[in-house]
Amino acid sequence: MRNTFTIAARELSHYFVSPLAYVAIFFFVFISGFIFTLAITTGQAQADMGPLFHSMVFVSLMLAPVLTMGLIAQETDSGSIEMLMTKPVTDTEVAVGKFLGAVAVYVMILVVTLEFPIMLSIWGNPDWGLIAAGYIGLLATGIAFIAVGTFASSITNNQIAAWLTGTAILLFFWLVGWLSYSSTSWITDVAGRLSIYENFGDFTRGIVDGKNVLFFLSMTGVFLFMSVRALENRRTL
Amino acid sequence: MISVEGLTKYYGPHRAIHDVSFQVEKGEIVAFLGPNAAGKSTTMRILTGFLPASSGSVNIAGFDVYSQSVEARRHIGYVPETPSLYPDMRVRQYLSFCGKLYGLSSSQIRESCDRVVDLCGLAERSDYIIGRLSMGYRQRVCLGQALLHEPDVLILDEPTLGLDPNQIVQVRELIRSLAGDHTVMLSTHILPEAQAVCERVIIINHGEIVAEDTPEALTAQLRQAQTVFIRVQDSNAEISRQLRDIPGVLAIEPVKDDKGAYYVSTEVGSDLRTRIAKFIVDHGWGLLELGSRELSLEDVFRHLTTEEKGVA
Repeated sequence: MRNTFTIAARELSHYFVSPLAYVAIFFFVFISGFIFTLAITTGQAQADMGPLFHSMVFVSLMLAPVLTMGLIAQETDSGSIEMLMTKPVTDTEVAVGKFLGAVAVYVMILVVTLEFPIMLSIWGNPDWGLIAAGYIGLLATGIAFIAVGTFASSITNNQIAAWLTGTAILLFFWLVGWLSYSSTSWITDVAGRLSIYENFGDFTRGIVDGKNVLFFLSMTGVFLFMSVRALENRRTL
Repeated sequence: MISVEGLTKYYGPHRAIHDVSFQVEKGEIVAFLGPNAAGKSTTMRILTGFLPASSGSVNIAGFDVYSQSVEARRHIGYVPETPSLYPDMRVRQYLSFCGKLYGLSSSQIRESCDRVVDLCGLAERSDYIIGRLSMGYRQRVCLGQALLHEPDVLILDEPTLGLDPNQIVQVRELIRSLAGDHTVMLSTHILPEAQAVCERVIIINHGEIVAEDTPEALTAQLRQAQTVFIRVQDSNAEISRQLRDIPGVLAIEPVKDDKGAYYVSTEVGSDLRTRIAKFIVDHGWGLLELGSRELSLEDVFRHLTTEEKGVA
């Protein structure tokens, strides 16, 4: 456990000595800020975060693979993985530690975006329940996205390949929901349950449903487990 | 302290090492000597638990490196062939990161960091960013992190690679000073290094152990023979047989893929060049070239492998 946090802390400090964390925060806040401005200055101009959450979750989907692509791939490429894995640490501690480091950056980004609801509360009267639900949703989805990205980074030593793999997996889980509109068979049901978009939808309406939370938690668990297996497997190659 | 039994490693169809077995006692300094691609790094990586062996077992300080991997690694300090540190961290910060992973308490980390910074001559550079350090200093940081937890076993893969002559001397002195408290296993492809530092040398070639002895005994074997290179115009089977009649000639070996060229091993201290020249001319074989030959590491291996086979 202590090793996990040691590795997470090192990962977090690595983000902030490279431009990556700053670029990621800027990217996320700039795009969500742009959409936020559009949402409150055009149309009905309501103090409503709902539509913004939909955009924010898509921005996280684009951002998570960028944050995570270097986690393990970079170390494999530079060879520093050898220094790390010959210390008395387990594969699980390495994978989970690195994952938590990226999650910490993501949480910081979400904290910065709290400026939007704060602004709304100054000039309007937003629904705090809906905002809380939205943020819980963003956190749950983001954590799952980072687990997917950690997995992508663990199966290659090329960061670009890791980024593309992560993005492809996440886009699949996003787009799979479209099947539920076009098809009428049992696929509709399965596709809807696997869809990030569908599972996130309830949060934007202010509903924190156990089955949605469970979906993102399972996604996190499955991909973290696969990352650990990939790390173990690397040794046997 | 280190016990290796029948270690074999395949990379796909390629066999990197085959049936490697050896023991290292507590407090010994042992060199693993071999040319490039002999399987040294592969063996070192298996010893540290970084790579699993295809078959065979390794026991370090009483723990199996595969089934009790984390426990075994607690007793190992490892310096890989290329010191891949985190370039964005400062020296002391990196050392304390490693200290935490070794499970040291924060007061132990402070003491250990002070100790290795002193020991490895890092005092002036302890606040530098690792990415800005020269290769020599990175190597020292790498050595420092391996010593933090005072491991029972030190595994050093080519610890003097990329250092300048002064630094090489310093590192060798440091390694020698570690003997006794630590068991040291180092790999190198430089024969004098093994002689300078180690009590025992294990020679590996093409993934197999070909000799194991003290450096003195190995050099004695080497000095026993000097080699003369000859090239004749009229090469025939008689040459190998008849040259052997010259007193002092130990062996004649045709050079591979070079017709008419031979290596003649002679006893130490006897310069047989004039006698060999006269012998060849007298027999009318047409002497084209003759010269004495410096023994390179490759020759050492050839000598050792042939002699070992002769013994067996």
